Amino acid sequence: MWRRLLTSQLKTLATAPCRSASKTVPLPFKSNVSSSPFSYLLTRHFSASSAASAVKKTVEDVMPIATGHEREELEVELQGKKILEDVNNPVGPFGTKEAPAVVKSYYDKRIVGCPGGEGEDEHDIVWFWLEKGKPHECSVCSQYFVVSRSI
Amino acid sequence: MIESQRHSYHLVDPSPWPISGSLGALATTVGGVMYMHSFQGGARLLSLGLIFILYTMFVWWRDVLRESTLEGHHTKVVQLGLRYGFILFIVSEVMFFFAFFWASSHSSLAPTVEIGGIWPPKGIGVLDPWEIPFLNTPILLSSGAAVTWAHHAILAGKEKRAVYALVATVFLALVFTGFQGMEYYQAPFTISDSIYGSTFFLATGFHGFHVIIGTLFLIICGIRQYLGHLTKEHHVGFEAAAWYWHFVDVVRLFPFVSIYWWGGI
Repeated sequence: MWRRLLTSQLKTLATAPCRSASKTVPLPFKSNVSSSPFSYLLTRHFSASSAASAVKKTVEDVMPIATGHEREELEVELQGKKILEDVNNPVGPFGTKEAPAVVKSYYDKRIVGCPGGEGEDEHDIVWFWLEKGKPHECSVCSQYFVVSRSI
Repeated sequence: MIESQRHSYHLVDPSPWPISGSLGALATTVGGVMYMHSFQGGARLLSLGLIFILYTMFVWWRDVLRESTLEGHHTKVVQLGLRYGFILFIVSEVMFFFAFFWASSHSSLAPTVEIGGIWPPKGIGVLDPWEIPFLNTPILLSSGAAVTWAHHAILAGKEKRAVYALVATVFLALVFTGFQGMEYYQAPFTISDSIYGSTFFLATGFHGFHVIIGTLFLIICGIRQYLGHLTKEHHVGFEAAAWYWHFVDVVRLFPFVSIYWWGGI
């Protein structure tokens, strides 16, 4: 349960300095996935998606009656991605002035949280508004952020 | 499209059911009080309120089924939220029952002089715990096993067997309710018979009420399973019904031990 909560928290962050984009989002927090009912739900979900992408399946094979947003989510999942992942889960190296960390947004500004660099360089999350045309530097680790409009 | 919605959550369309449910609750509570104090029109208002509440439940949850199964709004995060919500609801129900068991223990562990300083109070003809209560407890436990059977059938994609398993669960539940009703009818004491009657009927009565609600929930799941709404990937409604049923099951064990068995000695 905690891993899921933390995952969704992290998804709103411009994170992953030196982290490669992968299917299962690696987390700095090692979760104690105990014998709670949620861990069963979590593992079921992840194993289903990895099995699905191994053999090219269609939505019809997995859940024929799926429709609407659920169907779209399933379609994207079968291709191995997560829905809205590129907007909500930005990954990339540590942002510098020359190569800033790009945060996508549907609007001209977005709330961003910086957790710092990899491993030892991690710090308590610093939250800020990131506005278009105003690149922001984290007050603790000076990671450089820039917002990019994505329609 | 989910892309244009820009998030995977479900922002519900405006709906009249919350207000209609609230008005029904108002009518029920006011009517209930009027009825209990023998005001004119109390019973009528109470019944009207209850019917209104039942109607609201029917149409509200029908809308949920429409939004999820027929319109596909229930993405993974929405399902997760629903699961969390339902578990928290069950926790709140546990608190509710905790209160009644506390009340029962409060009165039974230190019986007052008014009831003879003994428990069960002087003059109360307690029910033999080894007759109907002892039969009913395993009936409910088997229905819990049957609902687990149904869950595994759904997960394995065996749709017909899931229907059969749910039918078995509901059948056992109805047998339980029937026996319990019979016992209530034949009990030598009533709710007004001292604190024993009050705590007994309140605890077992609310439990029975929850059994009836759980049975209804399972019947709806059975119908939906028959209609093909539930898939092995997505059956939050069924999971909720199964959790509720297990909760009802576990709650049954507590009164059996504390009220029927210990309380009768």
